[in-house]
Amino acid sequence: MGITVGDVLKSGRKFGGTRPVISGRMEELSDEQCMICLDGPEVEAAFAQLYDRYGRTVFGVGLKILGDRSLAEELIQEVFLKVWRSSHTFDPSRGSFSTWLFRVTRSVALDLYRKRANRVRPVLEGDAYLATMRDRSAGPQEIVDESWLSWRVSRALDALDAPHREVIELAYFGGLSQREISLRTGIPLGTVKTRTAKAFKSLREELALGDAWRVATR
Amino acid sequence: MMYPELHPDLAAFVLGGLEPQEAEEARRHLASCSHCRNELEDLEKTNRALQAAPPPVDPPAYLRGEILSRIRAERGSRPDHAEPADSEGRTNPFKAARLYRSSRMGVVLSSVAVAVVAIVALGIFFGLTRDEAPVATIRLIPTPEEAAGLDGYWGVAKIRPQHSHNQQVELRLNNFDEPEPERYYQLWFVSGDRRISAGSFTSVGEGETRVWLNAPPEARSFDTVLITEEKFDDATPSGREVSLRGEMP
Repeated sequence: MGITVGDVLKSGRKFGGTRPVISGRMEELSDEQCMICLDGPEVEAAFAQLYDRYGRTVFGVGLKILGDRSLAEELIQEVFLKVWRSSHTFDPSRGSFSTWLFRVTRSVALDLYRKRANRVRPVLEGDAYLATMRDRSAGPQEIVDESWLSWRVSRALDALDAPHREVIELAYFGGLSQREISLRTGIPLGTVKTRTAKAFKSLREELALGDAWRVATR
Repeated sequence: MMYPELHPDLAAFVLGGLEPQEAEEARRHLASCSHCRNELEDLEKTNRALQAAPPPVDPPAYLRGEILSRIRAERGSRPDHAEPADSEGRTNPFKAARLYRSSRMGVVLSSVAVAVVAIVALGIFFGLTRDEAPVATIRLIPTPEEAAGLDGYWGVAKIRPQHSHNQQVELRLNNFDEPEPERYYQLWFVSGDRRISAGSFTSVGEGETRVWLNAPPEARSFDTVLITEEKFDDATPSGREVSLRGEMP
């Protein structure tokens, strides 16, 4: 028998002692505690929990920096298999799981970038359709430079609750005005504006916790 | 107008989400309120950071199950371990995890040693019969007509030379629609007017379709890979209705 969720919860002091012993529910574990569970019988539940928390970020950052959906899918598979295979190399005393996972993601993204560079050939001139598929993704140095900021912003957005994230995504990615968001969602205009303001405040606080703010504003 | 706190529309203003009249009102307020101008500066920094945000897209649902399946398969080859306990029979998960990991490393190393011996033995036994690594990976791209309105529509073909000198083609197609009734798909290698078929197949639609086909040795010298949709009624495949195409590296 290996490590159970209940055991990990009882060992909360190993990770700062802030987590009370309440129950054995996997969703109550911190990322670092889920990593420990990868060594136990509840490995699949722990792994699924980490995937659900970070899969969207890994995939989104992959899309952003690699600019290719199939590569982003390859990325997310390789990253999470590395999480499983390399879980023993994770040391919570040296940094958070999120930072460790980011490094894994960046490393795999660079590998995929190099692999793609070896297999993609130039598009022939005059082929109108294929010309639209030209590679518009970042170079290796840009991947290193941009991926951390992209990661931090993605995590900051994920930290918002669903109603606040929705207004930001509709405004920023959907290009909708506040009134259009209100019409689309059925939420009163005043509430849309309030949520937008609160979401911005939360994003600013989240981003200020790391160096994303400095990178974004330099 | 002065607000006891911040103007409530500043974030929406930064996002460009106000109606013209509201935006104008916000501008007028900003001209007379240094408190809100300072706030605006910070909001604009946040807005600039948002430009680095990845698109809000979920990964394909099938990937979660696929990754878990691969882990399950790898786990199958790993032994269960006794949980270390202290003198009172309690467990220390963190210590247990370390012990588990170190003992797992020992088992893994032993397993690796056995595996190496087995691989060498099998290599000698089977000699040249093993498959080669892919010599070409081709990205298959939908035609503009096929791509219209489709999301996550892609394919990859990997080509491996076989001992028989034929070329094995591994196709991985994502969300590739099932063919219409009485239809099927055909894989072609094309170069100018020349074309050879590498066989026919069907697909599962949503999720990943993985197919292995065989092509004659000369397939590697062709320029283009095509997947066409064909009708059972036709005596021979026409190769006219192209769904995916890729260029040989």
